[in-house]
This record gives sequence, C-alpha cells and structure tokens, in this order.
Amino acid sequence: MKQENLLLIFGMAIVTFIPRFVPMVFLSRWGIPERMKIGLGYIPAAILSAIVFPILFFDGEGTFAIQPQCLLSAALVFAFAWKVKSLWGSVVLGMLIYWGLGFVL
Amino acid sequence: MDGHQFRDGAKAALPIVLGYLPVGMAFGILAQKAGLTPLEAGLMSFLVYAGASQFIAVEMISKGIIWFPIVLTTFFINLRHLLMSSTLSLFFNKNSLRTLGLLSAQLTDESFAVAMSDTSKILNRPKYLFGLQMTSQLAWISGSVGGAFFGSLIDHKEYGLPFALPALFICLLVLQIKGPNHFWMMVIAGISSLFFKWVFSGNWYILLATLLASGIGVAIKSKVQSSKLKGEKE
Repeated sequence: MKQENLLLIFGMAIVTFIPRFVPMVFLSRWGIPERMKIGLGYIPAAILSAIVFPILFFDGEGTFAIQPQCLLSAALVFAFAWKVKSLWGSVVLGMLIYWGLGFVL
Repeated sequence: MDGHQFRDGAKAALPIVLGYLPVGMAFGILAQKAGLTPLEAGLMSFLVYAGASQFIAVEMISKGIIWFPIVLTTFFINLRHLLMSSTLSLFFNKNSLRTLGLLSAQLTDESFAVAMSDTSKILNRPKYLFGLQMTSQLAWISGSVGGAFFGSLIDHKEYGLPFALPALFICLLVLQIKGPNHFWMMVIAGISSLFFKWVFSGNWYILLATLLASGIGVAIKSKVQSSKLKGEKE
C-alpha cells in the first residue's frame, strides 16, 4: 500500500468524520432551542428533495438536461411509492422500468 | 430484544444494499483505473464511507492531483452531514460518547433517510441504527472491493442499476410528505437545488437548498404561531 494513498485516505476520513460527529454529540447533550427543532423537522424532506431533483434534471457531466428515460422512470416510481410505500418494491420496480425504457427510448 | 433491534435495522437496510452494491462496484472499478489497489479502495470505503466524495477523490487522483486539494474538497462535499447529524441528535440524547461516535461515523444520506422514514424505531435505540448502518456499509465495502477486483467482468451500468439509488431516494421522499407544510418544503428545496446546482459548481446545492427551505419553514411557522398568540391575547 502506497504511503501517500494511506495519508490521503486518513485525511479524507478525518474531515468527513468531524461534521458527522460534532452536532450529534453537542446537540444531544446541550439540548436544542425550539425554533431549531422546527427547522430540523423539515430537514429530511428538504434534503431528500435537494438530492432527488438535481439527479433528475442534470446529466452525469453536471449539465442541465431533460432525460426522458430518467424522468419517466421517476414518475412511475413516484406513483408506485405513493400507493404502496415500499422501499424494496420501489427500488426493484425502478430498476426494471429504467432498464426496460432503455430498449424503447 | 436487543438482538431484534439490530436485526430489524439490518432488514431495513436491504433496499440500500441493492443500491450500494452496484454503485460501490462502480467506485471500485474507477479506483482501480486510477491506480488504487483493491485493498486501498476497500480501506477508503471503510474509513471515509461517503460516496460522492470518494468518486471525486478517485477522479482527482487519476488527474494527478495530490492530497491537500482532495481532502479539502472532501470536507466541503461532506459538510452536508452537519444537518443530518443535528437532526439525529434529537433521537439520541441518552447515549454514551462512544455510541454516538460509532453511529455518526457511519452516517450517510441513504441510511439517514431510511432512519427518518420511521423515527419511532430509532428513538434512543442505537442498536437499530447500528444494524441499518453496518449492513449498508458492508454492502458498500463489498461492492468497492469486488469492483476493484472483478470490475472489468460486469458492467455496472446494465440492468437498470444506475436507477437503484434514485428510485430509493424517490420513495424515501414520498414517505416524507407528511402534510402540506412538508410538501411545500420539498417544492422550495427541489427548485432551489436546481438553481444552486446550476449557479455554483461542486456539491453546495444540497446544503444551500436545505437551509433555505427549512429556514423559510421556520420563519412561516413562527409567524403563524406569533399571530395566533396575538389573536388569543386580543
């Protein structure tokens, strides 16, 4: 194992760990103001949305793009998830639809 | 009882496993092409365990960039975990520092979102979250090492594999629509994330869009509450 790669991996590990660790420890011990609690309640929804939308409307190179295979699959998975609320089902169905559409589009 | 919690968490991770195996493999393949050994790829997945930043690191390595710029980029990409870690702290206020350290080391977008889809299961139950996170990371490490070893044999872009994680995120998003407030948060976060990604390079859009949307949410909610209080006084 190359020493410079080892150093790189340790460096990356430390800077990734800090923002994961610090809020969990300090906020769980000090308590959180009411206003911040309200904000934190919105974070899962907001963060997921901020992850999903760019996946759908930007291509692999990071340029804005309308991708029919991706958008159609997403719409169908959305409808399925709305009705059935199954994570497993959504993932498997999403893969199948995306794969199938690859032959058609 | 405790064993059940761990097992339940591990079971809840299965949709993540389906997404992490192929994406981990893709990482392993690229890592190997950039000159990392399977052991180094596996070690990175074990110690760093943050998908987007690992892909970017490998990309930078293959361009001959060395450690400081890569570490700095990694820091900024993974800064978004601040928000998830803050949110999780609401559910773990009775646990030791060691437990919190182990839990936070394995925090990812995917495991956070699955944990948030049913918060009754994680409230002061670190074992459930351990099961969920360890299973997910195991899949990520296996995928990485497998990809670095056998990468050339299987095409990770086949069989709809690229859509596994997007599909997972979409379903998790649907599970978060708990009322009109959450719906509008999503619309704001979604549209603003597109705008931020278009304007700024890098991964800032997740952090910015999330802060903007939840900030607006807090402002509206406290305005509604204060006008209610006023109404009651009058």
